[in-house]
Amino acid sequence: MAYAVEATDLVKRFKEITALDGLTFKVEEGKIYGLIGPNGAGKTTTLRIVSTLILPSQGSVRVFGRDVVHEAAEVRKLITYLPEEAGAYKNLSGYEYLQFMGGFNSRNSADLKQMVENAARISGLGDRLKDRVKGYSKGMKRRLLVARALMNKPKLAILDEPTSGLDVLHAYHVREIIKQYAKEHKVTILLSSHNMLEVEQLCDQVALVNKGKIIVEGTPSELKSKHKAANLEEVFVEVAGLA
Amino acid sequence: MMRDPRILLGMVLAPLIIFPLMGFILRTSTEAMQESLRTVPIAIADFDHGAAAKNLTDFLKSMPNVKVEVIEAQTIDEIAAAAQASNVTSVVIIPKGFSSNITEGERAELKVYGVFRSGGIGESLTFSAAQSLVELFKQKLINETVQTRFPDNPNVLDPLAISQDSIIKGKPVNVNPSALFSFTQAQSFGLPLALFMLIILAMQLASTSVATEKEEKTLETLMSLPLSRFTLLIGKLAGSTLVAAIGAVATIFGVIYYMGSFAFGIPTQPSVDLAAIGLAPSLLSYIILGVSVFVALLSALALAVVISVFAEDVRGAQSLLGFVYMPLLIPMFALMFTDLNTLPYGFQILLLALPFTHPMLAARATITGDYLLAVLGIGYVALFTLAILYIAARLFATEKILTAKIRLGRKKTREE
Repeated sequence: MAYAVEATDLVKRFKEITALDGLTFKVEEGKIYGLIGPNGAGKTTTLRIVSTLILPSQGSVRVFGRDVVHEAAEVRKLITYLPEEAGAYKNLSGYEYLQFMGGFNSRNSADLKQMVENAARISGLGDRLKDRVKGYSKGMKRRLLVARALMNKPKLAILDEPTSGLDVLHAYHVREIIKQYAKEHKVTILLSSHNMLEVEQLCDQVALVNKGKIIVEGTPSELKSKHKAANLEEVFVEVAGLA
Repeated sequence: MMRDPRILLGMVLAPLIIFPLMGFILRTSTEAMQESLRTVPIAIADFDHGAAAKNLTDFLKSMPNVKVEVIEAQTIDEIAAAAQASNVTSVVIIPKGFSSNITEGERAELKVYGVFRSGGIGESLTFSAAQSLVELFKQKLINETVQTRFPDNPNVLDPLAISQDSIIKGKPVNVNPSALFSFTQAQSFGLPLALFMLIILAMQLASTSVATEKEEKTLETLMSLPLSRFTLLIGKLAGSTLVAAIGAVATIFGVIYYMGSFAFGIPTQPSVDLAAIGLAPSLLSYIILGVSVFVALLSALALAVVISVFAEDVRGAQSLLGFVYMPLLIPMFALMFTDLNTLPYGFQILLLALPFTHPMLAARATITGDYLLAVLGIGYVALFTLAILYIAARLFATEKILTAKIRLGRKKTREE
């Protein structure tokens, strides 16, 4: 079986704080894998390590067989990363922003044009793409950023809280984009969320993270069945010992 | 960066508008002031009525643009009241005994009152003009007295014929040194100021360009792209340099117009042919100056980027940058007013250790032709720049760019 991501005994310390404490997981190619847990569980730290932004204190991560520490440049060619609190250059229009960002991944101008058209369709923003980003609502900006993350059909898309702060309609749109894109283009998605219900709808495989460790892992239906829970929220409360 | 209206307005358009506007206002005020100086109104109160007193009154009346009003009064209070009621700005009081003292070779007294109304610069200048006229009359009296004593000596009042030439690079040259010093002094002030402004602008841009990425939350996305960290660093430096150069050119154009307003109405001296006297900057000197400015600019930018890594936002970056301005100001002010060789040895070493001193020395070398120090300076600054670039590249390559921070000010307590 081919794995897009293999994380082994990941540890990350920030001075006195241990953010990750021996995290191990694998993401199959072409699947949507969710890291879920409360605030401060270690989800964002994990995604940042996989995205080559920060280094692990111990352990290793391989993305399509490439080490994120020693082959970071190669890994970046395979991934895109959408941070939880991401911004866009507000003095550019939506189109200009997509063109600028697409330029880093495109091979030539025809390729870039294709990517931008792709992104425009993904975002669903239509004529608003001609307007400057500073005039966008939070939901519009997030849709633009999700489109940017998926426009070049990366092998692995790392999305940190993709629907964070969005209203129902925008959140629905973003979830549908992610699901459709993963299926159509065989993009592996590694995402994080503290919205258990969203993850249940979206993910093929989930890992519940708490205090820097994975406390349980499996498909949503497996976990609900095993713990006799109606939803993943109940599963989490039970395994985290909060019940 | 050029899409950001703050940069376009603040760094490019503002200097092109503000400085010429200041110059226009200054020019208009100067014209108005010169208009008010067309007539110098003086009042005279003559208590002497002797020959010398009449001589003084006739002298003042003969001066162009002087309007003389004679006040007939008995006391100083009456004179003051009359002067205040009129439009005169000065009153000359000739006391009794003035003419007899002059005739007998005694020191004669003269009182000049300035009439104060608004205290404006026009009033001050017309009073000064009146004072100068009285001094001129005094000199006339001296000249007449001396010529009377030495009627056969036409050179008694001007015994020395002084000519001024210069020695340049060990050779005598027939050029007035004052004209030469005026030219070099303009360079001593103008060039360090221009370099200072360019470097400050560039540093502000470089530091805010990284800090803005953090503030706008675009940095993490940028760092996850298939782009080497070194390319990202060079991109930040190149962008800042380009925008700073445009801003500096706009500022210099604005300043030239502004400075031209100071020279308005002042007769210019004949220009000095620098090529004829071997002081014209050569192509080599311009190349050396250009390279020196470039490496110093690069070191300033790299320093600014390193500093910005430790800031959380634009405001923090600007605060931290304030600490770097001192090493910029020291050489600028020191070399504006003096030569390096005249300073104490320890201070010379300090100045030479600062990278921003060397472009100013290179600027001097364009005139003096002493290229050795300028070239050695380029080498030193290049090494300094490489060291800073290395530190910047290391910071960009690690997670420090995301996690490092220096906070200025006190920590907030739990109660806050």
